[in-house]
Amino acid sequence: MGYNKSNLPKKGLRLVTEIDISRLLERVRKPASYLGREINAVFKKLGDVKVHLGLAFPDLYEVGMSHLGLKILYALVNKEPDFYAERIFAPARDMEDILRKEKIPLFSLESRTPLKNFDLIGFTLQYELSYTTILNMLDLGGIPLHSDQRKGGDPFVIGGGPGALNPEPLAPFFDFFVIGDGEEILPEILKVFAHWKDGHDRRGRAAFLKKIARIPGIYVPSFYEPLYFQGKFYGMKVLEKDAPSVIERRTVPDLENAFYPESFVVPYVDVVHDRAVLELFRGCSKGCRFCQAGYIYRPVRERTVSRLKELAGSIINSTGFEELSLSSLSSSDYSCIEGLLEELEQKFGKDYVRLSLPSLRADAYALRLADQVNRSGGVTFAPEAGSQRLRNVINKKIAEEEILEAAHLAVSSGRSHIKLYFMIGLPTETEEDLSELTRLVQKIANLRQTAGNRKHAFKVTVSVSTFVPKAHTPFQWEPQLELPEVRRRQEFLRQHLRKLRGVDFTWHEAEMSFLEAVFARGDRLLASVLERAYAMGSRLDAWSESFNFPLWEKAFAGEEIEPQNYARYKPALDDYLPWDHIDTGLSREFLKREYQRALKGDITYDCRERGCVGCGLENCSLRQVEKGVPL
Amino acid sequence: MYHYRLCFSKEGDLKFLSHLDLMRTFIRALRRAGVPVAYSKGFNPQPKLSFAAPLGVGLEGKNEYLDLYLSEHREENKLMESFNEQFPPGLKIKKISTVELNQHPLASVIGAALYVANLPAVPPDLPQTLAGILHMDTLVKVRQDKKNVKKVDLRPFIYDLKIKDVDGKDTLFMLLATGSKGGVRPQEVLELLHLERDTEIKVYRQDLFILEGGTLKNPEGICSVYYL
Ligand code: SF4
Repeated sequence: MGYNKSNLPKKGLRLVTEIDISRLLERVRKPASYLGREINAVFKKLGDVKVHLGLAFPDLYEVGMSHLGLKILYALVNKEPDFYAERIFAPARDMEDILRKEKIPLFSLESRTPLKNFDLIGFTLQYELSYTTILNMLDLGGIPLHSDQRKGGDPFVIGGGPGALNPEPLAPFFDFFVIGDGEEILPEILKVFAHWKDGHDRRGRAAFLKKIARIPGIYVPSFYEPLYFQGKFYGMKVLEKDAPSVIERRTVPDLENAFYPESFVVPYVDVVHDRAVLELFRGCSKGCRFCQAGYIYRPVRERTVSRLKELAGSIINSTGFEELSLSSLSSSDYSCIEGLLEELEQKFGKDYVRLSLPSLRADAYALRLADQVNRSGGVTFAPEAGSQRLRNVINKKIAEEEILEAAHLAVSSGRSHIKLYFMIGLPTETEEDLSELTRLVQKIANLRQTAGNRKHAFKVTVSVSTFVPKAHTPFQWEPQLELPEVRRRQEFLRQHLRKLRGVDFTWHEAEMSFLEAVFARGDRLLASVLERAYAMGSRLDAWSESFNFPLWEKAFAGEEIEPQNYARYKPALDDYLPWDHIDTGLSREFLKREYQRALKGDITYDCRERGCVGCGLENCSLRQVEKGVPL
Repeated sequence: MYHYRLCFSKEGDLKFLSHLDLMRTFIRALRRAGVPVAYSKGFNPQPKLSFAAPLGVGLEGKNEYLDLYLSEHREENKLMESFNEQFPPGLKIKKISTVELNQHPLASVIGAALYVANLPAVPPDLPQTLAGILHMDTLVKVRQDKKNVKKVDLRPFIYDLKIKDVDGKDTLFMLLATGSKGGVRPQEVLELLHLERDTEIKVYRQDLFILEGGTLKNPEGICSVYYL
């Protein structure tokens, strides 16, 4: 395939605003992030397309360009001649200041069109701390923040991705949300839009919304009203007769034949994940109880080795990437992982294309796979909890011996850096669990003795985050640990780990995890807090240099909302929850059962290994392989 | 292994690429073009290519150079074609020549660079300031980076400064030391000339030179040009 010259911006490309990009870029720290003239970027004449979609990622280019979902949708939409998707990222502060000072609206990368001139803008909702950045981008792009203030010519603002599964804190700002996989539903939406635009000349926004509200997987928040009694949420009222009372999640049933890009845009600058990505499978059946991804992407759907091999070939040929990442939620669990690695190694080894396996299980088998692709560099294990008891609570089915064996193997095969991920504040956690954590780290740090002449370089990094209870998981009924106690436990670990030789300790800011917890199970009342925090200057909150917690505290106080009530929310099992109208397909009974088993420390098997565990999914393709092992 | 020397230009919007960005762009273009690059040995093999002298973010380069090693022989023109097919607009290979394998890579021998700046307005005292600098024996300036502050004598790094009329426009030529033995950045010279505030001034790098026995030479066999 290779680089297609016809993809370049054509002379006479009708730009809505000509911006002297060079003049802007000369004054910012990372100019190349705003160029948008990368290899494989798609250029179309705006006059030739019927639907103009902005794919927006509410973070900087370096982060957004590492996100697979965006790449899939970009290629998917652009293969249709009538549709045009462009990329939009958040500007860094220096660029924002110039845009504001010179009244230049935020623009897309390809045609440099201001946001307000698009037909639709789709935001991907990956993490809660990006929410004020969304407001900033809308404002910079000239789009009214509230959906009810948008008029005829304004774009429709769409939200998708995991955040859309609890969309309430963002409800007033979005025209609609897309729940679940985007591959099938996005073209459906664009087709309806093209039809509506022809007939209505972009008037009557409500008519379009009513139409798409009937498409399964679409949530139009203005058609629903949250009901409160004495400050307590008790349900959703449907205001529009055609809107469903429950919005079901869309899944692409057959991933093998689903669309996947054969080329990716090749960034100039060093983005976070600067490599080609091959999605081996979607979904995960491990059932770790804290992990939202393990519940909201079910069932597991795999691509075949031959399809993956073919895709890998096209992607490497068209991009020239030196690394191919075999991506999924748990790559060593791909059913033909060894065969795949062998075939890819054969295909690419001589061309010096490296393979990488992110998200590995912390066991010896996974480590052998990692060794197969790359024997140098560090390895990362995520035991998540330090004690066996607590690992049972969260259903992380890995024994200490397995972790130690894997770590031992890592050291003996020549690696000198082991990175360990843990969480604190997990349900039922006690100081004893934390002590066990430090003992586990100690045992791994002791492997230095076996590192021979690499002893001096041997390093263990312990990275600790704070548990955030997420909607649609068994822990949705659990409160987050209170902030002072989080800080105390961090301090406990710091004190204990700092005594260990060659151990580095890093942790996530407790205040960030607190805010995540507030919005992860938030309701519509929080929208005003987002707006106020944004107005006070909050944005790019996931970056510690711009995160400003006191400002958030002021924003909560200004709206007279107590954030503790959200982070520490402990609803009764039968309470109606602010995200209950969004249906992931998993049964509430299953989540309840999992929650109760968690508290008892009972583990639940991986349904791909021992048969269906009854998560409630209808038409699950995996159930046919059921082996009938009772729970 | 085969050693090639490439002369290329980096212009337009692509002047915003950093040295590392440019390196990535070359390596990926090579892979897309299926050029058989030679790799270093070891745990983490790297493609064998090295740029003569890194070019700063925001600067255009008219004649930049690169040493490239291939594992198989390729005809120069074919190689140039495959590169240029894979490059985004703004990057262009101008010439490729084959070099004896035992030659030093350019990075170790490049000693000077010629920078050119347009001068939209020539302040009346500029010729005098310029002559003054060339007359000085030492010109000690304080350089500060993130970590430390140190004093450096910039004068030995300034080989020549000249204002010439090019197509009716006043143009500043700066021949400056660059490379492993130290150098001075064009921006620092603009500061010495009190021109750093004029945002209309655009600087580009015209060419790179090898210093040999007190004389300047173009990188061997490529892009012979005469300035000054
Ligand atoms: S329905 Fe059964 S087999 Fe399918 S994902 Fe759920 S637990 Fe697994």
